[in-house]
Amino acid sequence: MAKAANPQDKKAKNDSKAWQFVCSVKLAVIIIIILAVACILGTLVLQMRPPEDYVSRYGEGLAKLFSAIQFTDIFHSYWFAFLLVLLCVNLGCCTIKRWRNTVLQIGFLVTHISIIMILIGCFIDLQFGEKGGVNVYEGKSVDYYLNRADYRKIPLDFQVYCDDFIIEKHPPKFRLVTFVKNKDLQKVIPVKVGKKINIPGSSYAVTVKDYYQDAEYRHEPINESNEPNNPAIYVQMLDSNHVTAEGWLLAKDRNWYSDSKRDLKVEYLWADNDEDYEKLAKTVGKSAKPKLDIIIEGKNIHKSVPVEEGKSISIDGADYVVEIKQLALDYANRAAPLREQSLDNPAVRVEITGPQGVETRWTFSKYPDYWDKAHQSKYKDIKLTCSIPDDFSEAANRLKIVQNKDGKQTLSYLNDGNLISIIDWEIDKSYEIDETGLQIRIVKYFPSHSTKREVVRRSDNHEGHNHAPGEHVGNPAILVEIEGPRGIVADWMLVNNPPKWYPDKNLALLYEQSGMVVKDYKSILRVVDGGKTVMTKTIEVNDPLKYKGYVFYQSSYDPEGERYTGLQVTRNPGLAVVYSGFILLCVGVVFIFYVKPFLRRKLKKGQKVKDYYSDDEIAAEHIE
Amino acid sequence: MDFTLNVTFYVYIAAIIAYVVREIWRTKTLRWVSFGVFTGALVLNTVLVLTRWYEANHAPMSDKYESFVFFAWTIALVYLIMELVTIFIARVHESRLGIIGALQSLLSAWMLHSAINTDSTIKELPPALQSNWLVVHVINYFISYSALSISFSAAIIYLIYRAIYRGRAQEIVMTGSDSQLRKDVTFDKLAYISVTIGFPFLTVGLITGSIWAKGAWGTYWGWDPKETWSLISWLVYLSYLHLPMILPKTKIKKTFAPILLSIVLLVAFPIVLFTFMGMHKLPTAVDSDHIYAE
Repeated sequence: MAKAANPQDKKAKNDSKAWQFVCSVKLAVIIIIILAVACILGTLVLQMRPPEDYVSRYGEGLAKLFSAIQFTDIFHSYWFAFLLVLLCVNLGCCTIKRWRNTVLQIGFLVTHISIIMILIGCFIDLQFGEKGGVNVYEGKSVDYYLNRADYRKIPLDFQVYCDDFIIEKHPPKFRLVTFVKNKDLQKVIPVKVGKKINIPGSSYAVTVKDYYQDAEYRHEPINESNEPNNPAIYVQMLDSNHVTAEGWLLAKDRNWYSDSKRDLKVEYLWADNDEDYEKLAKTVGKSAKPKLDIIIEGKNIHKSVPVEEGKSISIDGADYVVEIKQLALDYANRAAPLREQSLDNPAVRVEITGPQGVETRWTFSKYPDYWDKAHQSKYKDIKLTCSIPDDFSEAANRLKIVQNKDGKQTLSYLNDGNLISIIDWEIDKSYEIDETGLQIRIVKYFPSHSTKREVVRRSDNHEGHNHAPGEHVGNPAILVEIEGPRGIVADWMLVNNPPKWYPDKNLALLYEQSGMVVKDYKSILRVVDGGKTVMTKTIEVNDPLKYKGYVFYQSSYDPEGERYTGLQVTRNPGLAVVYSGFILLCVGVVFIFYVKPFLRRKLKKGQKVKDYYSDDEIAAEHIE
Repeated sequence: MDFTLNVTFYVYIAAIIAYVVREIWRTKTLRWVSFGVFTGALVLNTVLVLTRWYEANHAPMSDKYESFVFFAWTIALVYLIMELVTIFIARVHESRLGIIGALQSLLSAWMLHSAINTDSTIKELPPALQSNWLVVHVINYFISYSALSISFSAAIIYLIYRAIYRGRAQEIVMTGSDSQLRKDVTFDKLAYISVTIGFPFLTVGLITGSIWAKGAWGTYWGWDPKETWSLISWLVYLSYLHLPMILPKTKIKKTFAPILLSIVLLVAFPIVLFTFMGMHKLPTAVDSDHIYAE
């Protein structure tokens, strides 16, 4: 190549040692090694994180050092860029210097030029390229995107409409996972009816005996014995022979029913002895009263008072007076008289008088944090909570169903605390409840009430199913038999329920939904430019839309519903250069390592036999 | 499927033993026996790959389990091709290639052992992997890794030879006489040849990964840990290829140069393995969405 130049001139020009070094392979290897080390550091040291992360992870001193030498963003640091530029220069000089116009040198030329092209293309993209993202709602459009680096809105001179967004889902898959606790061994076993599978490394074996594709729990009340261990009655409330309400009352648990419209509370009670019987059947009895708790933070003051409307409480040790203004059993219905409110969202209204005037607050029994979170309090150190028992009632009419172990069972009706009537009752007979206009019928009596839970095939009426037609999911259940040191145990397992433990508490089984649900997601995009639709395309991951140099990728979607599609937007002016570099590099390496050895053999056939596997010859090719 | 997997694993173990026995007692029968056992392992491995392809209905290289099985297969395949070229093209009759065979069988066995301890449930392909680039990109990488693994084995053997014989005996794999080769091929030269075979595939793998990333995510390079480590691997082998050009100009003795080059290979292949399997250990792994194979 330098044939025309004067050899002496050439020698003078290339004489400086520095220049020699810049053109040398040695420099290239040094740069390559430093780049490799820099890359390794870039994956070991946290990159592009907020400063606090570095201090917490590496300590103040190191964090400062890292920041100073740009270890916090190695790949975009000045010195990394410098290395790449130096490599480009070195490659360029190397190539010019060592190129001889022979066929065998094609690979050398092509590979080195390709790397320079790739680096130049990357540089063009870094300086002039665009990258960002934007969400487009179904049926709507955007004419901008948000820049990745600073979330600035970058306008586009056309609009992109999302005409539709589609998610394709896989049918759900289910799997059975076994866990052996003392070996910390987790293994997925296939669900195959009738196949006995030994869990390797343990003494357990699991067999799936049966399978329901769609199952549910069915709860059935049963009577376990004739001993009154958990007395319960099934009651129907009737209005002119129509059943208005019905259900179980359990004496030792949920034993009441309130009808606020009729100002009635029905209670079911069990008397252990005669004295109890007298009290329960003939008096209204005490139930837990609503309480208000006042806490002054910082002063360790805690006061608990019964809720009585109009009552004032002064707090010793603090400058506050708390007045209870109103009790509501149903906050939404708080304007109505207390008797007409059914217990739904009980709350207490309070006025706090202090040095800065009067503050009004509501405190909710079921949501103790609500008021503080939603409102600015004047007096932040005073905290109020109230508790109103579930069975609290001010009803004037009381019906008490009382039983004792001797077989005595009565219905007593009280009004305003006074016993009006008391009668014996029998199963399946209805009885008037005095002035209320209602009747009551006791249909069943279980001395030992219990619930039997069963897994059954779900019937086909699809109640409560929330899915599109054709997308039936199904709730599978399997009957598993586990064999182990404590014998054989079998039970049904419904999917996505808590794990089932074997009696020795060492083996657990979990039947769960596995795998991913989303198969694919696509958007139908339409580009409108100058008022006209110029392009429509269904994009999906791996298949973007290209227009005017911009590329729109299917990147993500609204995780909560399918209302918007997430697009990644890029523009890479240097792409052609980079891709050309890529192709040349591939061609080049294939040439050097696959084509050249054969070419060399053919071309040097007539000459002195050279060992073409020796490193020396390879080296010799590249030295002047 | 489980049964075939276990059997294949044991046949690879048998191949290791067969190759070692063959290297000690150098009879022609043993040569064919060891070759046969190894080929048997490869056939079984092929069955594993094909049955998985059929059952999963996608190319069997999309998750950890499939990768292990496929990698074991490419290791065996590339080595077998090398054996066949040695026998039928270079027409070498006496060679110590079997030592490499033992090491390659060991590597395949290790991959299958990892497969046995990995969840083999068939998983649906996430949208990002539903692309033909998956096959192109992954196959290129596994073939390159397989060739590079041979260079690793050869480097180990070379260093052991040098340590034991201290230059008094040649570390010859295949002799130049009685064959189509012009000169003896020593283990370090075998290592170099393996790198020249594997490096182009490594390059193409890197580039196809980049082009695929552009099509799927919009950027052809994101400095994601897996991408960065694949670049590191490429740079290390690139420097290995350029070192012979500069070593003569340094003060390093000519007899020491192959030792240095072998040491580079000893470091390079674990880097490749780390890129393949070890990404989840990185502190920066949290920031990556490339680690789906883990």
